[in-house]
Amino acid sequence: MSIDVSGVTKTFGDFVALDDVSVSLPTGQLTALLGPSGGGKSTLLRVIAGLETADTGRVTIEGVDATRLPPQKRNVGFVFQHYAVFKHMTVAKNVAFGLEIRKRPKAEIAARVDELLRLVHLSQFSHRLPSQLSGGQRQRMALARALAVEPKVLLLDEPFGALDAKVRKELRDWLRRLHDEVHVTTVFVTHDQEEAMEVADEIVVINDGRVEQVGTPDQLYDEPANDFVMSFLGEVTTLGGVLLRPHDVHISTTPQLAGAAEGTVSRVLRVGFEVRVNVLTDDGEDVLLVLTRTHARQLGIEPGVRVWVTPASGALTVPSMKAAVG
Amino acid sequence: MTSALAGVTGAAAEPASREGRRPRRSRRATPRNTLTKGAALGLGVTMVWFSILVLIPLAAIVATASENGWSQYVATLQNPQTWAAIKLTVGQALLVTVINIVMGTVIAWVLVRDRFPGKAILDVIIDVPFALPTIVAGLVLLALYGPNSPIGVHWANTERAVFLALAFVTLPFIVRTVQPVLEELESDVEEAAASLGASRTTIIRRIVLPSLTPAIAAGAALSFARAISEYGSLVLLSGNLPFRTEVVSVRVLSFIENGNTASAAALATIMLAVALLVIVVLDIVQRRVSRRG
Amino acid sequence: MVEVSTPVRWALRLAAVAYVFFLVAWPVALVVRQTFSNGLDNLIEAFQDPHVVNALELTLMVAFWAVVINTLFGVTISILLVRYEFPGKRLLSALIDVPLSVSPVVVGLALLLVYNGRDGWFGPTLEANGLQVIFDTPGMIMATCFVALPLVIREVVPTLTEVGDDQEQAARSLGANARQTFWRITLPSIKWAVIYGVVLSLARSLGEFGAVKIVSGNVTGRTQTATLMVEAKYQNFQQGTAYATSFLLILVSIACLVVVAVLRPKHP
Ligand SMILES: Nc1ncnc2c1ncn2[C@@H]1O[C@H](COP(=O)(O)OP(=O)(O)OP(=O)(O)O)[C@@H](O)[C@H]1O
Ligand SMILES: [Mg+2]
Repeated sequence: MSIDVSGVTKTFGDFVALDDVSVSLPTGQLTALLGPSGGGKSTLLRVIAGLETADTGRVTIEGVDATRLPPQKRNVGFVFQHYAVFKHMTVAKNVAFGLEIRKRPKAEIAARVDELLRLVHLSQFSHRLPSQLSGGQRQRMALARALAVEPKVLLLDEPFGALDAKVRKELRDWLRRLHDEVHVTTVFVTHDQEEAMEVADEIVVINDGRVEQVGTPDQLYDEPANDFVMSFLGEVTTLGGVLLRPHDVHISTTPQLAGAAEGTVSRVLRVGFEVRVNVLTDDGEDVLLVLTRTHARQLGIEPGVRVWVTPASGALTVPSMKAAVG
Repeated sequence: MTSALAGVTGAAAEPASREGRRPRRSRRATPRNTLTKGAALGLGVTMVWFSILVLIPLAAIVATASENGWSQYVATLQNPQTWAAIKLTVGQALLVTVINIVMGTVIAWVLVRDRFPGKAILDVIIDVPFALPTIVAGLVLLALYGPNSPIGVHWANTERAVFLALAFVTLPFIVRTVQPVLEELESDVEEAAASLGASRTTIIRRIVLPSLTPAIAAGAALSFARAISEYGSLVLLSGNLPFRTEVVSVRVLSFIENGNTASAAALATIMLAVALLVIVVLDIVQRRVSRRG
Repeated sequence: MVEVSTPVRWALRLAAVAYVFFLVAWPVALVVRQTFSNGLDNLIEAFQDPHVVNALELTLMVAFWAVVINTLFGVTISILLVRYEFPGKRLLSALIDVPLSVSPVVVGLALLLVYNGRDGWFGPTLEANGLQVIFDTPGMIMATCFVALPLVIREVVPTLTEVGDDQEQAARSLGANARQTFWRITLPSIKWAVIYGVVLSLARSLGEFGAVKIVSGNVTGRTQTATLMVEAKYQNFQQGTAYATSFLLILVSIACLVVVAVLRPKHP
């Protein structure tokens, strides 16, 4: 295991930001910390980097107990959401900074900076000041700067958060490819589940200072540990007291299946090739389901039509919190 | 607690504010004219007043000084008493500026990064030299460093008195230009340096200080300009002894009192030139900062 | 954020506090104490001296007019600089700062050369028409205006820039004319900046010394302001009165500072 966090608690005043968090992140993988805003993702990342000290618990990096090490000694690369560029240094100087601190020979530094700038496609900008770069370019420079010192782990806090949707998507694919090339253990924070599912080998879902679940994107999607994870990873609806995905709801215009709930179509919304249908059951539940257009047309779904809905066979269902409590 | 001076000195540290929201447009080759009739009238009236008050009088100084060509300047500078005054003024102003660069930065650092009871009071006291009448400043310094000094330091009528007065009146300049910049330094930049392995001293030397340099330079220019033109605080304190504690302003005044307006104007022109130089330097520093963005 | 080590932090804190204490706090405190060394005698004596009372009144009058003029001028120039484009704008913007770097003595000399009644550029003509500038109040007001000129502008320009012109354009689109837009939108949004500018100008105007000394002629009881009075009394060995007058000036200037510190919105 590359990074081991065990029993870490962090409080700010009397506010508990991390509550007894333990996770292990395997070497060479790309891990996403996913969770809602304020859940404690940044705090966990900063504790790993040594920018914040945990109140209790231990952090081990590559087998070395790093709990008491200052950030300078941990050899982690950290990429900040707002880049944290050194404004008064050129792009090349920014990237060279960590190597100069380590007093590497000049020639070696020059070669390494060259190589990294090529890797992040910024070679032609090496003599510019950061203010003369676009947001995406600045972010790539920040990444090159973090990679220059050959960190044992690379930590990225919402690396693409400040970029527009298109650049974000490009950089996301690029990060995946970069990771496949350099293979450094990487942890990145995001609150965008799509980003996490697409890029990460493994996802750690964090909410309210606690780890809700750890697993591959497929595991999380197919076997969510609880209703929070389930609803955070994709759209859900309730039917008969259970949570399920809207495309897992079976609908018919005749009472075919036993136990199906009867109701009336209250709203039909076409979004591209799919049709989103709201059904108000006679028990007062508002069920959302998603059909293909063809399917909807075959069934003749329109507002006011009487229908029967039931979980499709093999549908993933999770008891809803409300049902569990009530 | 925030400062009264922030607005006075802050403009130097905040580039582009004076140019309005569209700095790019003002760099066009042909400046646009968007004045409405009313605005043009306003501009006319204010320009007349500005000319009557500032431009024409300053032009009068240069004109008077140049009536006899360069010989007036040469004669003025060759006067040993005047030359001694220039040397003293520039020398002490430089010394004070250096002290301000160090102490001003330290004080700004303490005000922004440190926390202790009474810090708010320190913050207000920094502005006192700005608000205090200069003659009172001299009187005040005399109380501690004059003949009745309670700590036995008798610096009145010496070069040290000149230094004290200049240090007093220029205290706020660097503090108030550096402080806002330091406040706005993003902590993640320092954290980035730390995670790259930089020690505390390295972070301060290579990350923090370079970011402060433009502000320090701007504050230093202001403080130097103020120091070479100081008059009021020196009147009671320095004794105005020729060749020893007489500064340029006092020299100009004695030329005026002796009716020697030509020499007064020549010396004043030299001071104006230095002031202008300082403004140009300030502007260059500001523009370099704004390019950095 | 780098945290310096504890000894270094203490050293820096001590250096900063000691420097300010020895340079400013202690000397000012000494003058305040000496003012009250005989109880209220110094103050009472000062207020019974008609010259002192006269000087204080003159100072207030000169400062009042200088502040009024500088405020009108400053607000107008600020709006022109921020909201309009015109040839020479950059130059004007740079020239506005000139008074900050000009010695008060040079200011006095400059006004003297143009407005003195004997051989000034405009002085004789003006005097022939009954307006004496030099050695009289108009000259003193002008000198004070000169030295305090940039203060209002330096407060208002950044605020005006920050506020932007969206609201003004909105008002225009709703049918407000230029005058209504100014009074209902622009002025309220720069109100505080104008007030700080006024307070700072007031402090500067009350305390002006060198420039006023030259243009006023420093005639006791007629053109002697409070600051000139301090010099005269101190040199006449009437130190009690000098201290008392200084104390009043210190009081006013610190009051100005406190007003500004309280009014200025705390930035986050
Ligand atoms: N320095 C601090 N002082 C006080 N509270 C803090 C501090 N840093 C974080 N917190 C609190 O800790 C909680 C977790 O913060 P954290 O930054 O880790 O959230 P996050 O999951 O990264 O959220 P986001 O997605 O919005 O960045 C928040 O409620 C935040 O208010
Ligand atoms: Mg965060």
